[in-house]
Amino acid sequence: MLVNQLKYDLLLFSRELFYLIFTIIVPPATYLFMGTLYGDFTYAGGLNYAETYTPSFILLITFGVVFFAFGFDQVMNRTIGVEKRISITPVPKKTLLLSNILKSIIITSFGYFLVFFIGMIVHDLSFVPLNFVASFGFFMLLNAALLIISSAIYSLFTSVNAALVFSIVIFQIGMISGGFAMPVDMMPAFVQTIADFNPLYHMNQLFIAVWNGQFIVDNQSLLSIGYILGCVTISLLLLRFVYKVKK
Amino acid sequence: MEIVHVKQLKKSYGTNKVLRGIDFTAQAGEIIGVIGKNGAGKSTFLEILMTLKTYDEGNVFVFDKEVRSLSTHQLEGIRKQISVVLQPTQFYKSLKVVELLKLFKAYYKSSVNIEKIIADFKLEPYRKTYFNKLSGGWKQIVSLAIAFLSEPKMLILDEPTTGLDPHMRNILWAYITKYNKRTGGTVILTTHNMDEVELYCDKVMLLNDGVGETFDTTKRILDSGYKSIHDFYLSKVSM
Ligand SMILES: Nc1ncnc2c1ncn2[C@@H]1O[C@H](COP(=O)(O)OP(=O)(O)OP(=O)(O)O)[C@@H](O)[C@H]1O
Ligand SMILES: [Mg+2]
Repeated sequence: MLVNQLKYDLLLFSRELFYLIFTIIVPPATYLFMGTLYGDFTYAGGLNYAETYTPSFILLITFGVVFFAFGFDQVMNRTIGVEKRISITPVPKKTLLLSNILKSIIITSFGYFLVFFIGMIVHDLSFVPLNFVASFGFFMLLNAALLIISSAIYSLFTSVNAALVFSIVIFQIGMISGGFAMPVDMMPAFVQTIADFNPLYHMNQLFIAVWNGQFIVDNQSLLSIGYILGCVTISLLLLRFVYKVKK
Repeated sequence: MEIVHVKQLKKSYGTNKVLRGIDFTAQAGEIIGVIGKNGAGKSTFLEILMTLKTYDEGNVFVFDKEVRSLSTHQLEGIRKQISVVLQPTQFYKSLKVVELLKLFKAYYKSSVNIEKIIADFKLEPYRKTYFNKLSGGWKQIVSLAIAFLSEPKMLILDEPTTGLDPHMRNILWAYITKYNKRTGGTVILTTHNMDEVELYCDKVMLLNDGVGETFDTTKRILDSGYKSIHDFYLSKVSM
């Protein structure tokens, strides 16, 4: 049953042009395009373009998938009545949720390998097994955190239009203040302030550090981890609350 | 054998008291029509029987089990025995008809042959059509085809014939009566077409002001002096 549901979930994803654009088309294309512009720059920590932006764009894809194809998709199914129709079939809710989570993990992992592959070809990114394992493991943790945060946020929406506008705006804000377009310290002060409150910014910083084997426990990294964990905790509480109200 | 037993069922949406004490039973093999004006609470009542909606007071037994007290697992067991048509129904819009049928067949772990269902409901020309590209009536037919994908003990159909042309209406009713005769399954449905009730339903429940004002066999209603169920409805229900 799970395999079957997963097959259909992936099929539905592949047929939604809107999801494809925001997940596995725009971010890899931007990664390539920016690489031709800034390929020779040196970034914070003495890192080159590929070292900085490969993890960033993997994270951006993950963000797109988890917010559009996972969170927004749930709102859409809820509001047009698909969820209601499915809910009276004997299929366990757990199976549906699990399939949806697996779907996201499969697509984000696909994004991971896609960007990594582009990086290897275009920017001579090297494959270091130990680093790769650490990065992929950390990526899974970020994936889990984003899934929880996204579930909580989208559980609040009851209209597709509101959810759509929100998704597009949050994608823009997330992208700019998360450090995906340009380093945040080159941005105006107000963007830097937003960045401090943007969990994606913190995820991005941590992921770049882990990716390049530069992760150290200091005030900055502890603050980032603490902030992300705080967001996850609040999301979990919110999900419990929404679940109780629905009952 | 009693399939559904409802006692003093009450349900409000906020201050809107929709169901104010309904008593209802369905025996195995009966075809029961629930009628009443727009907004009378027919869909609400049916959705409670489908285990989709919660209720405030009273008892609802489906297959001898009180719906309110069931665990998630038990509910899934009951849902396996019930097929439904919702008003209005939505499915994944970017799945093709044949894919939807396959998906729902898997949900019900059913052994019904999809090709037979496609042939019976004349869906062959539409098997590769995306659900959201179908006309309203064909969407309804897909929804009905899905209801007959499993071999349920009970069918709950909310306005199944709304939007169907006369041929498809006939096909559907032939299908419902055949299913009923062959499997002894129970059918509970709503419709605004009183001729259908008169022709096909064993029993009628008239929902009015939140109660089942009349709940009797079609025959007895007609015998009591009404020319038709249509007449019965018009004389019982005011605008
Ligand atoms: N989810 C809901 N929230 C609030 N009110 C609702 C909800 N669903 C139905 N109602 C209200 O409950 C009443 C009964 O609605 P219901 O859909 O059960 O009527 P119905 O008999 O099926 O009508 P129709 O013949 O038009 O299909 C209506 O006043 C409706 O506005
Ligand atoms: Mg209705």
